[in-house]
Amino acid sequence: MTFRASVLNILNDFPRASRGEVPVYTVPALDIRTVASCLYHDEKLLLMSVVAADERPGGGSFCVYYSFGDPTHHAVLVLRVVLGEATTFPSIVHEVHEASWYEKEIYTLFGLTPEGHPHLQRVLVHENWPTDAFPLRKDFSWDTRPEMADGVFEFSRVEGEGIYEVPVGPIHAGIIEPGHFRFSMIGEEIIQLEARLGYVHKGSEKLFETLPFEKKVQLAERISGDSSIGHVLAFCQGVESMANVSVPARAQHIRVLCAELERLANHMNDIGLIMLGTAYNFGSSQLARIRERVMLLNERVTGHRYMRGMVVLGGISRDVSDDVLAGALRELAHIHKDFNDVMRICRGNITMLNRLEGSGTIDRTAAIDHGILGLGAKAIGIARDARKEFPYAVYPDLKFEIPLEESGDVYARWMVRVREVPEVFSILDQVIRSIPSGSLRGDMPAALPPNMISHGISEGWRGTIVHTILTDNQGIITRVQVRDPSFLNWHAFGYAAKGGVLLDFPLINKSFNLSYSGYDR
Amino acid sequence: MSLVFLTILQILIAPIASPLCIGIIRKGKALMQNRRGASVWQPYRDLAKLMRKDEVIAYDASWIFRCAPYIVFAATLTAATAVPVISTLGTFTVIGDILMVVYILAIGTFFLALAGLDVGTAFGGTGASREMTMAALAEGAMIAVVIAVVVVTHSTHITMMSASINGSTPLEISPLVLAFAAFFIVLLCENARYPFDNPATHLELTMIHEAMILEYSGKRLALMEWAAAIKLFVFISLAVNLFIPWGIATTTGGGTLLIGVAAFAIKALVILLSIIFIESWMPKLRFFRLPDLLFTAVVMAVISVVITVF
Repeated sequence: MTFRASVLNILNDFPRASRGEVPVYTVPALDIRTVASCLYHDEKLLLMSVVAADERPGGGSFCVYYSFGDPTHHAVLVLRVVLGEATTFPSIVHEVHEASWYEKEIYTLFGLTPEGHPHLQRVLVHENWPTDAFPLRKDFSWDTRPEMADGVFEFSRVEGEGIYEVPVGPIHAGIIEPGHFRFSMIGEEIIQLEARLGYVHKGSEKLFETLPFEKKVQLAERISGDSSIGHVLAFCQGVESMANVSVPARAQHIRVLCAELERLANHMNDIGLIMLGTAYNFGSSQLARIRERVMLLNERVTGHRYMRGMVVLGGISRDVSDDVLAGALRELAHIHKDFNDVMRICRGNITMLNRLEGSGTIDRTAAIDHGILGLGAKAIGIARDARKEFPYAVYPDLKFEIPLEESGDVYARWMVRVREVPEVFSILDQVIRSIPSGSLRGDMPAALPPNMISHGISEGWRGTIVHTILTDNQGIITRVQVRDPSFLNWHAFGYAAKGGVLLDFPLINKSFNLSYSGYDR
Repeated sequence: MSLVFLTILQILIAPIASPLCIGIIRKGKALMQNRRGASVWQPYRDLAKLMRKDEVIAYDASWIFRCAPYIVFAATLTAATAVPVISTLGTFTVIGDILMVVYILAIGTFFLALAGLDVGTAFGGTGASREMTMAALAEGAMIAVVIAVVVVTHSTHITMMSASINGSTPLEISPLVLAFAAFFIVLLCENARYPFDNPATHLELTMIHEAMILEYSGKRLALMEWAAAIKLFVFISLAVNLFIPWGIATTTGGGTLLIGVAAFAIKALVILLSIIFIESWMPKLRFFRLPDLLFTAVVMAVISVVITVF
């Protein structure tokens, strides 16, 4: 992997070790704030993840890994801070705001304190979880059942005359995931929105350490139900790059086919649901129907509506026959025409468009500071897309555009999806027409190389998914950190609701459609 | 046919026929969305089901919450008895004054909002606050419409108004076209239809009417839903018999009554179809735009009055 000279200059003084393809620089705790700040602000690198690992069983100590990605050179580098005897590490929140949520997780799950964090609180775990049980430490067995503690969840409070709170959830009226929203209101206006999540925390990252290999892949598929392919692709690509396995071209094509079908189905769903949020029944029911056509196609192509079990380590699990591919090509053309016909009517409905415009406009600076990803970023004119920034599989050979909108409101997020759909159809068409014959799976080695770090990156339909994978000195996967785009976008989301009215909230919520399960893991 | 029989018929027709109106709207909307939709009789089954079901009532609920469904249902039913449906005869002439009907319905709205506030949940409170905002504006539009009709018919008694318009020439009542448009807007608002409210929403944060009855279940919910259906029927009857009463039975003869029934059914169906069309074609408006729409209704009604007077 190559980097700009200016990036390397910053890191020159620090010892470098190559762990597979990824350069790892060991940086003293005292310097991490300056180095991170330089990489993030001056060199415009992206923060991919901040991951703690308990390396005490191998004779080491707690370590924190900061991964930075360079979208122009398609490369990732890692800064490593070794904590030694300490259980504290310097917080980089003042320099890199989006690191805040990673640090809170490390604080909660490892019991390591980010020193200087301005708003330290536990996340994900319930207040009844004891404050001295840290599930991601190696001396904490996955099946431990701790004593019930008696904690209190502190919401940030807004006080003043005429201010009242509206609690919503965690159980909602529709069939959606659980999450609690606390609105501080004055009249119909939202002063502040705080989302309390963690209701579907399943300890997935701990399970990644304990489950056998094939189950790890299945677990990755189940991180967030509607982006099965996005997550399993990230995990498999991470492990494959670590093991240096080359995936056959046919498998690469079919993986992209699956990933784009997933994007298509979910975009149809969201375009319809946003229209449902305005109570425009024609649009919502038609898009639900078209989405179902895509789901049926998914089943015909892969044998499963959510395409589970298709992607496996080294390639794909089952072949798709030429007949099915030819049929898929015809069906996609029909679906595309169907979609265009429906959208011509929907986009002619000025009242509906007017309802979307100006609702839930996100504060641009706040969004960028929170590291907004995927559709949310594209709606404020930032082309954050791993298919271009960290290309994988056959994406480098495909021609497609990243549609951008500038206004950052519900309309922009709706429009980004509407405009992405033709690109998806184009990608699907290119991929199906160019699928080569050949084998389906590369050979996976019996064991992974020891002391490795790798980043599985894929562009899920919501945004960039990053799985940071570490192996210990025996080549066993010792830590997997899963970053669904919802992890960052949930925090930016509050800034879209602020200043809006409560009546607009369902619409704003649908326009992001973030994953609770992907956040909680 | 005897007047007694006709009176009983006019009293019963609203509660009996009103769920059908809801069923027709739902079926029509489903068809407009290329869905098959439930049978038009489904609202009857829903009511029968809810009547048999047990109730869950919040610990904090006071007598207001417990009594409100009966008061709302009784008020709406009382208003319904005063409105002619198929005949200008056989209504309760004591409360046949249109202002009386409007404010008996307002009693229902008042208790509905109180019940929404009573259990102290956030949704009930926001629903009640929104409902009162809308109700206050809709009342103004409604009264302006009433004045327009009163100026033409020189009466505030509904059956007299109906009969008077029935006997007028088209030229005499032509100013009422605007008042009718205004009345239709009020009808949509008062009955929580688009673009004011979404009667089928699962989005608890955007609801107005549904937010207030969110805590109800079982029999009380059935009464609330039934009352809402009857209220819609009352407004449809008012629209039909105040503005387009032609065909309404003015004697108790069997033949004229049949014509009255048929005329009412056709006209009511046209109004239901308009609602279906609006709800399929139009999304909900922003809440803060709704006062503009109601203000438009007021202006149209006032213009109607001005044209009639001069």
